[in-house]
Amino acid sequence: MKNLYTTLFILGLFAVTFSCTDLEEELRGVITTNISVQGIATDAGGGAGADALEGAFSQLRNTGTAGHTNWFSAQELTSDEMVVTTKGGDWYDGGWLIDFHKHQYKSTNPSVNNNWNSHYGAVNACNELLSGGSLDANGTAQIRALRAYFFWRLMDLYGNIQLPTAPGASVAQSTRAEAFAFIESELLAALGDSDLSDGVDLTSTALGTAKDAYRLNQFGVLGIISKLYLGAEVYLESAAGAKDGTPHYTEAANAAQYIIDNGGYALCAAGCKGINPGKRPDVASDPDELEGFPHVFAPNNQGNVEHIWTVKYDAATAGGFNLAMMALHYSSQLTWNFDSQPWNGYSSLEAFYNSFNGDPRQGYSFIEGAQLDFGGNALLDYATDDGDPLLNYTPFINEIYPDGCRECGVRPGKFSYSQFGRSSMDNDFTLIRLGQVHLIRAEALARAAGDWSLALADVNALRARVGMGALAAMDADTFLAERGKEMFSEAVRRTDLIRFGKYGGTWWEKPASDATKELFPIPFDRIQEGLTQNPGY
Amino acid sequence: MKNTINLFLCLFLSGVLSAQQISGNVSSDDGPLPGATVLVKGTNTGTSTDFDGNFTIAASTGDVLVISFVGFSSQEVAVSGQDQVNVTLAIDQALEEVVVTGYGSQREREITSAVVKVDSEEFNQGPITDAVSLLQGKVAGLSIYKPGGNPNENPTIRIRGLSTLGANTSPLIVIDGVPGATLANVDPQDIESVTVLKDGSGAAIYGARGSSGVLLVETKKGVAGEMRVSYSGNYAVSSISQEIPVLSASEFLANGGTNIGNETDWIDAITRNGSTSIHNFAASGGSGNTVYRVSANVKEVEGILNNTGYKQLNSRAAISTTAMKDKLKIDFNISYTKRDAERGDERAFEFAQFYNPTAPIYGADSPFAFNAAQFGGYFESLGLFRSYNPVAIIEQTRNTRNSTDFNYNVNLNYDLTDSFDITVRAAEQRTTSKDQLYRPTTLLFEGNAVSPTRRGFASHGTYDLSTKVYEVFGTLDKTWGETQMVITGGYSYNQINANGMYLGLGDFPDNSLDYSDAIQNSQDLLNDGYVQANSYASPDEKLIAMFGRVNLSFSNIFFNASLRREGSSKFGADQKWGTFPAFGIGADVNSILGLGFDKLKVRLGYATTGNIPGPNGLSVPARNFVYAGGGSAGGATALARAANPDLKWEEKAETNFGIEFDKGALSVDLDIYSRNINDFIIDRQVDVAEFGIDRRWENAGEVTSKGWELALGYDVINNGNMMYNTTVALSSNEVTLDAYPIDRAQYGYLGSPGQNAVTMVRVVVGEPLGQIYAPVFTGVNATGGPIFEDVTGDGTLNTDAGNVLQEDYDGRVVGSAYPDLELGWGNMITFGDWSINAFFRGAFGHSLINTFRAFYEPNVPSQTSYNQMNTSLREPSLGVAQYSSLYVEKADFFMLDNLTIAKRIDFGADKTIKDAVVSFSATAPFIMTSYTGTDPQPELYDALGGAEEGNVADGGAALLAPGIDRRQDYFASKSFALGLKLNF
Repeated sequence: MKNLYTTLFILGLFAVTFSCTDLEEELRGVITTNISVQGIATDAGGGAGADALEGAFSQLRNTGTAGHTNWFSAQELTSDEMVVTTKGGDWYDGGWLIDFHKHQYKSTNPSVNNNWNSHYGAVNACNELLSGGSLDANGTAQIRALRAYFFWRLMDLYGNIQLPTAPGASVAQSTRAEAFAFIESELLAALGDSDLSDGVDLTSTALGTAKDAYRLNQFGVLGIISKLYLGAEVYLESAAGAKDGTPHYTEAANAAQYIIDNGGYALCAAGCKGINPGKRPDVASDPDELEGFPHVFAPNNQGNVEHIWTVKYDAATAGGFNLAMMALHYSSQLTWNFDSQPWNGYSSLEAFYNSFNGDPRQGYSFIEGAQLDFGGNALLDYATDDGDPLLNYTPFINEIYPDGCRECGVRPGKFSYSQFGRSSMDNDFTLIRLGQVHLIRAEALARAAGDWSLALADVNALRARVGMGALAAMDADTFLAERGKEMFSEAVRRTDLIRFGKYGGTWWEKPASDATKELFPIPFDRIQEGLTQNPGY
Repeated sequence: MKNTINLFLCLFLSGVLSAQQISGNVSSDDGPLPGATVLVKGTNTGTSTDFDGNFTIAASTGDVLVISFVGFSSQEVAVSGQDQVNVTLAIDQALEEVVVTGYGSQREREITSAVVKVDSEEFNQGPITDAVSLLQGKVAGLSIYKPGGNPNENPTIRIRGLSTLGANTSPLIVIDGVPGATLANVDPQDIESVTVLKDGSGAAIYGARGSSGVLLVETKKGVAGEMRVSYSGNYAVSSISQEIPVLSASEFLANGGTNIGNETDWIDAITRNGSTSIHNFAASGGSGNTVYRVSANVKEVEGILNNTGYKQLNSRAAISTTAMKDKLKIDFNISYTKRDAERGDERAFEFAQFYNPTAPIYGADSPFAFNAAQFGGYFESLGLFRSYNPVAIIEQTRNTRNSTDFNYNVNLNYDLTDSFDITVRAAEQRTTSKDQLYRPTTLLFEGNAVSPTRRGFASHGTYDLSTKVYEVFGTLDKTWGETQMVITGGYSYNQINANGMYLGLGDFPDNSLDYSDAIQNSQDLLNDGYVQANSYASPDEKLIAMFGRVNLSFSNIFFNASLRREGSSKFGADQKWGTFPAFGIGADVNSILGLGFDKLKVRLGYATTGNIPGPNGLSVPARNFVYAGGGSAGGATALARAANPDLKWEEKAETNFGIEFDKGALSVDLDIYSRNINDFIIDRQVDVAEFGIDRRWENAGEVTSKGWELALGYDVINNGNMMYNTTVALSSNEVTLDAYPIDRAQYGYLGSPGQNAVTMVRVVVGEPLGQIYAPVFTGVNATGGPIFEDVTGDGTLNTDAGNVLQEDYDGRVVGSAYPDLELGWGNMITFGDWSINAFFRGAFGHSLINTFRAFYEPNVPSQTSYNQMNTSLREPSLGVAQYSSLYVEKADFFMLDNLTIAKRIDFGADKTIKDAVVSFSATAPFIMTSYTGTDPQPELYDALGGAEEGNVADGGAALLAPGIDRRQDYFASKSFALGLKLNF
């Protein structure tokens, strides 16, 4: 009898314990599903505030539109606008920055990899929203257009890309022409117009017309498609550098024309102004206000009349615009009272700086010469390598490697800096603005007709805005130079140089490069896992 | 309860009542037996023998003394008026050494897996502050490395090298039967023995967490008899064992350095002679069926870097008793550890190495106008990238961690029948810690002293970890003649919960107090986006297993088999469970063939074990909320990690063959093994176009690990007066990557400044892991640039590190991060009252990347404000800082790890202090190596996670990037100690 109890006791013990095999994982503190919360609009300039689209539009920041190692670096450092020299033990970084400058990048270049990953991450954010089924027609149109824009960047950089349209799907690699066709069809679908060659008809679009530069309205999407069409000869070319693709200049010009005629935007000129957030009270040469061209890019440029589509940046709540850190010398911290020490990386090339040749946009675009601190005293560089302890940004740069002098090279300052700035800046970054649309119309009209004089009107309008006299004659080189002055630091230069056939040319510390370099290589890891590499790599 | 009262009564009374003093001696054939128990039969009166086997006890005529000692047959002696009792105990032939093997124990000869037991007599000596250091070098195949002398850093423990890439690599710690414990909560002085289960078949019963081997720790228990009190203490002084030479102030100036008019030895300025003081008190005793042991351990360690160290109090109590006619055995253990650590900032070592040697420590000594008050009186060289006064850092930073560990375990064992018993075990361990960091407003380094808006930084973090274990298992033990069968079956439930929070913010009004204790005064609270805050809580992280084991022994043939079915909450719904079998067979060849040795045994084991990933929630996606900002509360989420619902158990199959041989003074143990790890789990960069984000945990590949271990022991001298025993432990291991989704990859970034995107450690499918890869430096050209070898012979040099994975890259494997051979050589000499323990250790064939040199040795013309390393390998004309083979150094070493000379002094059993041991120890007093860094010990993983500032670390990248001696590493130290042990 006692044994029976014992046995029952044991069986009971085992029954209790063995039945406890529940392995359900109840996560705490991890968000596993997509949630979105509608906010209240408080932004100046009629910003729509936060909505369900924010997760996708915030990807414009994640893709390094104005940061180090992603889109901005790819567009600027491969061009004749900006360079990062190796400064002794600093900024070598495995040579990728020099490889960008000399067009010697390979599939293992970290920025090539970062751009790919961040842009496909952005595509995924769009796909998730589109497959979530919660968007209204306007939201769907915006996100399809936004996704097309990210695909456009990928196609512009890599050519033969993948075009996933649903999250979690593995898709085959497309050709550049297929990618072009897909991007075009998506943008046209958002616009509700199947063909822009006969003019723009937006009667059936779900896109709005309200001016919220942080979201896409009709004019923003027209801006995107005009950039796509402007590059069609490149994107649809038969071989690297051939530039024999089917032209779509008429469509580009029509789109730009429509924006100019119907958008209600204006070039920011006299009277378009704000206080100068970079003003040092004790430095008389600092203007009290920024007016006209410089206000388009100022730290308080939100809602500028020229903005059609911008990336919202905010030092506190929407970080990632790091140009102050990327460009300025360590000691410049004391000019702007930055909360942290800059990195002394990006500067402009001497020839590019000189090409402004007295245009006021030179002064608006660069930081040059002897530097003063907040109180107006000379800034000292104690660790000077030139014997002169004054910090003085010179257009001249001694060498790209290995001992680029640390105060050589004028620094980009068009997106101007604020006093008490943080490592992230407040300036909204311009993706589509009216000044650029003028340049697109000018170029498209000129190329469509084979007559550069057709570009004069728009170019002269932009010159007049900064007080420069009208040009009487125009050719492709002059146009590119004017485009450079207007669009410096807006992450367009690589695409422009390719379109103008200048990308393979030579400039300071840059040998001639092969046409295959007009496409980046597909990243190494992706090749390892089965994608086909671009020619020349 | 009654027993407890008895116990205390006994303790009280035993000192008061005395009938008759009987003294005597207990010995064996080999000499006196210290520690033998002498008990008056049927009473609670007892004592134990001293070092010479002597005892004194109070007993009356008619009493019977029971004299016993583990491993010997007990004897009983009737008291009949004699005042002297001398006894010689005979070895109990029926008893052999019993080894704890997990959920039971086995006789040593019947074990068929690779198991090594280390008893407390064999432990390393001296001022040992952490439990694993007791074992360093003692067990072939057990690698314990702690590069550098940071008192607040735990050693890295590996059994048989790398066992997994993405899951747990450290062996499972089992303390008194409780799996999943941490050694931090056990004082070295409280450890009786450690058994190391090296191979899969031995560790398989512990399942996933035993996949990297098991350390079974047995703490000291009470011994029946009157209370015995002991004390041991150590006081040690430590200093830097090896400095990295830098240019002196005069050499610096001669080299064109920027003169700031002073002369400062920065390493000297931030370091000191460290000290360690250790006090251990223990009391044990017991009566009848109840024994107890309590101990208290106090440690105070001051590291060689100023303001680093800790104070620790540890206490432990163990009580064992029986009830229900001795059928129920109850063990209860409890321990508590409190540690107050000053963690300082070891990056001060890095800054001290390259800070301008002509710069003053204090701003008042600056040759030019300098606002010293802004920097707390210290000098700072402004306008330089990443250059900070190290004295200012170390003296102004508060970086503390206050932690407590508490654990208890209850073990109930009930004999249902003579051959069947059942054990129920419950245990919990709780660790809490609080971290505080304060960078004052006057500190340039991370205190933003030059920022007008962000001066000062404080952070506050807490961490709470709870581990619960509940187990029940039964053991059936049947014997038929020479055949014995033991069947064990049971259930194990383990649950881990972790949670914590962190708050970091800055901008404080002044330095009048340490604002980490008053963070409400932060101006960051008024500004958007400056406050860093996070909190987290793990799910109930569960591991549940059912297991069974059969041990069969037929006179000289032994067979063991086990099966464990194990489930983890970390996998997706369809992948939670895995089943893992193990087998072992052994034969006593010596007895079977009648060879006449003392032992010749062969054994073969095979096991599969599983492994689980570290993080939770991998089967579902993880997202972050992105606020739109700009004053509205809206926003949406973005993907942070892709889901992998198919993630499944990593499987390790291990085969182990061993031979054990003893003859006379010689013993030889040899083990050969092969491990195949399939579906290893790793966080890797995946196709972002498919998964939406480039990070995902996957079962990504396969590695094979092969190796051998040889342990030799020899009694060189063994006579009555003198004994000299020497032991050698040798091991070797190589891990090969058999499969991985990409053919080759590089990990381990060198980092900022200027060396971002420079990876140094190569991973290639089909080749060994741990390959240090670099361009091959051959000299310096006329302009001060490096000359590299055209390795591919294609006539063009491609040595930019960003292209290191390209086919035409001119680089080569220039070293292996892992040693080819590891050696431990122990020597124990005793003569009379003296003993000498000399333990040597070495590792051979590994290399280290000396990052101090890679960053700061090149003579870069534009960097005249930074000092330079000045090792024997320096190329004075090299003016370009670029990673190459120049900075990869062979790091073979052979060192005297520990030398202890001790003398025993007997005062007599009737004295208050019965005996004492006085010792002198030297730890790492000398080291033979050509490595120019501070510590040549292998770096088994990358402390920076395989990445550095600004680069995303791959999960597992830390393990795939071994061999990097980071410039942040704490310098290694050597120490000399005096020790005292007293038995009362």
